[in-house]
Amino acid sequence: MTVTQRSSLLVRTISTPIILIVILILIAVIAKLVGSGPFSRTVVEMFIRVMLVAGLYIFVGNSGVISFGHIGFMCIGAYAAAWFTIPPAMKAVTLQGLPDFLAQAQLPIFLSAALAGLLAAIFALVVGRIMMRLAGIAASIATFAMLAVINVVYSNWDSVTGGTGSIVGIPFYTGIWTALGGAILVVIIAYLYQISRSGLALRAGRDEATAAAASGIDIVRERLIAFVISAFTIGVAGALYGHFLGVVNPDAFYLGLTFITLSMLVVGGMNSLSGAVIGVIVISTIIQILRWLEKGIDLGGATLSIPNGLQEITIGLVMIIILMFRPAGLTRGREIVWRFGPWASKPSTAGEVAVSKNGA
Amino acid sequence: MSTALSAQHVSVSFDGLKALANVVLDIPPQRVTGLIGPNGAGKTTLVNVLTGFQAPDEGQVFLDGQPIGGITSHRLRRLGIARTFQSGRLFGELPVIDNLEVTGVGLGLSRRESQARAEAMLDWIGIGALADRAAGGLPYTDERRVAIGRALMMEPKYLLLDEPAAGMSAEEADDLITLIRRIVAEMKCGVLLIEHNIGLVLNICDHIHVLDSGEIIEDGAPAAIKASEKVRHAYMGTQAEAGGVVL
Repeated sequence: MTVTQRSSLLVRTISTPIILIVILILIAVIAKLVGSGPFSRTVVEMFIRVMLVAGLYIFVGNSGVISFGHIGFMCIGAYAAAWFTIPPAMKAVTLQGLPDFLAQAQLPIFLSAALAGLLAAIFALVVGRIMMRLAGIAASIATFAMLAVINVVYSNWDSVTGGTGSIVGIPFYTGIWTALGGAILVVIIAYLYQISRSGLALRAGRDEATAAAASGIDIVRERLIAFVISAFTIGVAGALYGHFLGVVNPDAFYLGLTFITLSMLVVGGMNSLSGAVIGVIVISTIIQILRWLEKGIDLGGATLSIPNGLQEITIGLVMIIILMFRPAGLTRGREIVWRFGPWASKPSTAGEVAVSKNGA
Repeated sequence: MSTALSAQHVSVSFDGLKALANVVLDIPPQRVTGLIGPNGAGKTTLVNVLTGFQAPDEGQVFLDGQPIGGITSHRLRRLGIARTFQSGRLFGELPVIDNLEVTGVGLGLSRRESQARAEAMLDWIGIGALADRAAGGLPYTDERRVAIGRALMMEPKYLLLDEPAAGMSAEEADDLITLIRRIVAEMKCGVLLIEHNIGLVLNICDHIHVLDSGEIIEDGAPAAIKASEKVRHAYMGTQAEAGGVVL
């Protein structure tokens, strides 16, 4: 008696990343068509935040451990990109403490971004071996401590990081298409991790740690895998961000960005990849509307504007309201799937028929 | 030593309170071994010791003659010891099929192999229709059957069931008896059954141990347990009073 005639995992779930990627491409096309400078910059920033939040989701969503430290990986990635790509003549002046091989280097941007992600991943592997043994709030506090340590080191190691001042001279490169490519890359990595063995094992450990151990899962190991992969994606995001601004300084990668990215994840729904992406799009849109309002809208002579600072307050209120009505986030922790036509991802319901009691 | 999962002179105490004292118990293959006793007797502690979740203060656990002390619980699964939990402990956010697949993944199978094995297991138990339901919202009986399926995914030599019939109706308990018999006969599995439902235990077990205040006070065939004066005493004042147990 075979009741469970089911398609393969990939066929059942592939519609989610495809839909998310299509949404991102549409946004990029719209931004190109509108063509305004400020709007394009907003969209690029949004794509970089998709990289950050989807990268954060790889660890937070699957493990259930809230991390306050991931923006530290972005800091590592952005500075690495600066070291790899600023012309040697400039580095000789501003970053005199760099070792020779870095001081002389000027790598192609994509190689540099990949290496930046790799550096963040290696760092995550080293500290994660210890931190991943912690669970719950202790783990979250440890990630916060990691963020603080990274910030203090990068703020004070003047000869290598330029201290609290900004490093300038990072080649501008990241535009809409590059940022879109980065966002798509991270969505794909997050999706592949989610359907991987490690992703399943980690979500099991998130729901019931003891039972997962009884099922043969080594939670510490799976957490470490997710931590390293998410550090890589966020390191790459940091590199692209550096090439977007042309400037890095350590305080750009600290509490402000940590909380906004976590808010996006929570508002979207931290238990699903769709939630991560939708959260970024929704919160970014609200922020953009508020920015316009702060600058003032011209209404036939009269300018309507809201006081500066109201943006943060409004964002806070909106988040409270969303979470009051959708505590598990806008997506309720579910994935967006295609339910129509021959490519329907909806699981087979053929199993409803012909199940005799007790399987006899 | 014999072929069995075996606790030899196991003692455990928590903050000076003896939970288990010098417990000796064998779970032979392809038999149903019963473990009964009043609340707080130490039954779950014994299961925790046998499955590596709790290190004994004294004594040893042997798997087919090999001591298995010091092996972490997730590695023990691969040696063929599986368990269920009193409270179900399903992965609530995951679909039923994924709950079973987790065990396959824990064994080192690919997701494709895990899925195939999980589907076969759900069909074998007769709950294939539940495959895509979220495990969190299942009714009690189904929850127990999924939990048993998740444990069986390991193809264990020994399966420890911690109060699988709690809260079940008489008819549902009968279904459970059928399932346990099939597990022993078809999966060639040795089962340890912890239950408060004495009728069920007497019905299905080949051998029964009675635990009271951390000590095995009696063990023997169902008929002997039924006749035992000591067992009657152990239950007096606890469950017999509540009218729940008629030996």
